[in-house]
Amino acid sequence: MADAAPTGFERRTGGPDWIPYWAAARARELRFQRCRGCGRWRHPPGPMCPACGSLEHEWARASGRARLLSWVIVHPPVLPAWKDRVPVPVVLVECEEGVRTIGNLVGASPEVLRMDMPMVVDFTPSPDGDLVPQWRPA
Amino acid sequence: MLHTRPVSLKDQAAIVGLGQLPFAKDIGRPEEVTALEACRLALADAGLRPSDIDGTSKWSIQMTAENAIARSLGIPNLRYFGEVGYGGGGGCGVVGHAAAAIAAGMARCVLVYRSRNRGSGGRPWAGTSRERDNIAAETNETALFAPHGFVRPVDQVAMFARRFLHERGYTTRHLGWIAVACRRHATNNPVAMMREPITVEDHARARLISDPLRLLDCCLETDGAAAVIVAAADMARDLRQKPVYIMAAAQGMGPRNWIMNNYFKDPLLESPGAYAARDLWRMAGVGPRDVQVAQLYDAFTPLVLASLEEYGFCRPGEAGAFVEDHGLEVSGRLPTNTSGGSLSEAYVHGINLIIEAARQIRGTSLNQVPGARLSLVTSGNMVPTGALLLRGD
Repeated sequence: MADAAPTGFERRTGGPDWIPYWAAARARELRFQRCRGCGRWRHPPGPMCPACGSLEHEWARASGRARLLSWVIVHPPVLPAWKDRVPVPVVLVECEEGVRTIGNLVGASPEVLRMDMPMVVDFTPSPDGDLVPQWRPA
Repeated sequence: MLHTRPVSLKDQAAIVGLGQLPFAKDIGRPEEVTALEACRLALADAGLRPSDIDGTSKWSIQMTAENAIARSLGIPNLRYFGEVGYGGGGGCGVVGHAAAAIAAGMARCVLVYRSRNRGSGGRPWAGTSRERDNIAAETNETALFAPHGFVRPVDQVAMFARRFLHERGYTTRHLGWIAVACRRHATNNPVAMMREPITVEDHARARLISDPLRLLDCCLETDGAAAVIVAAADMARDLRQKPVYIMAAAQGMGPRNWIMNNYFKDPLLESPGAYAARDLWRMAGVGPRDVQVAQLYDAFTPLVLASLEEYGFCRPGEAGAFVEDHGLEVSGRLPTNTSGGSLSEAYVHGINLIIEAARQIRGTSLNQVPGARLSLVTSGNMVPTGALLLRGD
């Protein structure tokens, strides 16, 4: 790869709203936007609080504890980066802070998953090598 | 004094022309050419000339723009040209906007078209496209998902589906009955891509694509082109075909929408379809019990179960029993996707569903529902969506 090529992290940002989320994950922290106007958490991130209209927010650290809402197991055909990793389990969780997010299942096989079971955050690399938030049974 | 006149598109416009090319895995010519061919077929069906067209309505992702269509067909002037986003969620809105433009006096005769070479064209996970690389997420909308290998529409619907089945008490066998009904209706449709009958056992044996969803839960990859002409009601009465009146049209998005990955609002399992349904029935002044036939958007089988609830055919938890034992077939509880739908006829962002809904009112469906007076068609309900209610005289 040429020196000038963007890293996975830079390509993955999805725009300015997302940079602090991925940066926190690289430091093994789960952080979400929290409105400075009314204190509400929100995720996925966005520029304005839909509750109070404030444009001011902080990236507050979340507890990393969550409840399992759903999961899928991705089978082929998949994009090239995932060809040697299938089947890929992906989970949808609701965090203690009330926001929902997704990640891959780590540290357990999908057979152990049960609806609404407690989950905790972990950090393992995406195929591009950067740490990203993942989830394992608590 | 403020002067207001309530304006509604109810019954103000009718579908007067239908055009559709045979569906294919590889249609062999560009989308612009097939779009033009479909438009010519729709004009001939209606008995209209290009100079009768004064409006167009299209999907935002339709690559052939309306000026290209107009200059090739020889349309002298377009007074109205609009479009609707969100792919498979857009179709009923595209036709609804045509009716709205007519009701508002912006056009008299609006051409709707969709051509898409998806069967032979780009599918990133099949290695036939460079439109996405492995893990990069270029937009806000996909940022959370791409680094986890969670990018295909089937994955996003499967995430909804597992929770939906769990909370409602449905099973994957119920999904199988939906696939069986669509296939049953495709068996006598010469342009359907999949015509071999299947059983719920075949569905249960199909390979997993995104557990809990299997290959037979997924729509087809199609090259296709079709067109629909919408005309003012007074004009429609004098044309070649029996008018198919647009009794109601509605769109809906709901709160905090994320395309396909719509998990971040409450209630978690309520889709944009629930919002479109409320407005549709309110405008129409009738309800689901008055409908004899439905085309429910079926990019994936779980969408049909959800639509049966949202459009009021079943209470939450009752859609499983509704679909099983051939409930969606012509002799069943609600004949649904009567040309085979996206699952077995073709996947062209639902324009084939709109055409089949109109054929049911004309009385020309290959799987005609006897006495069909009201015909419902919906768009994709995992994205901002829409619906139409069609009627005869």
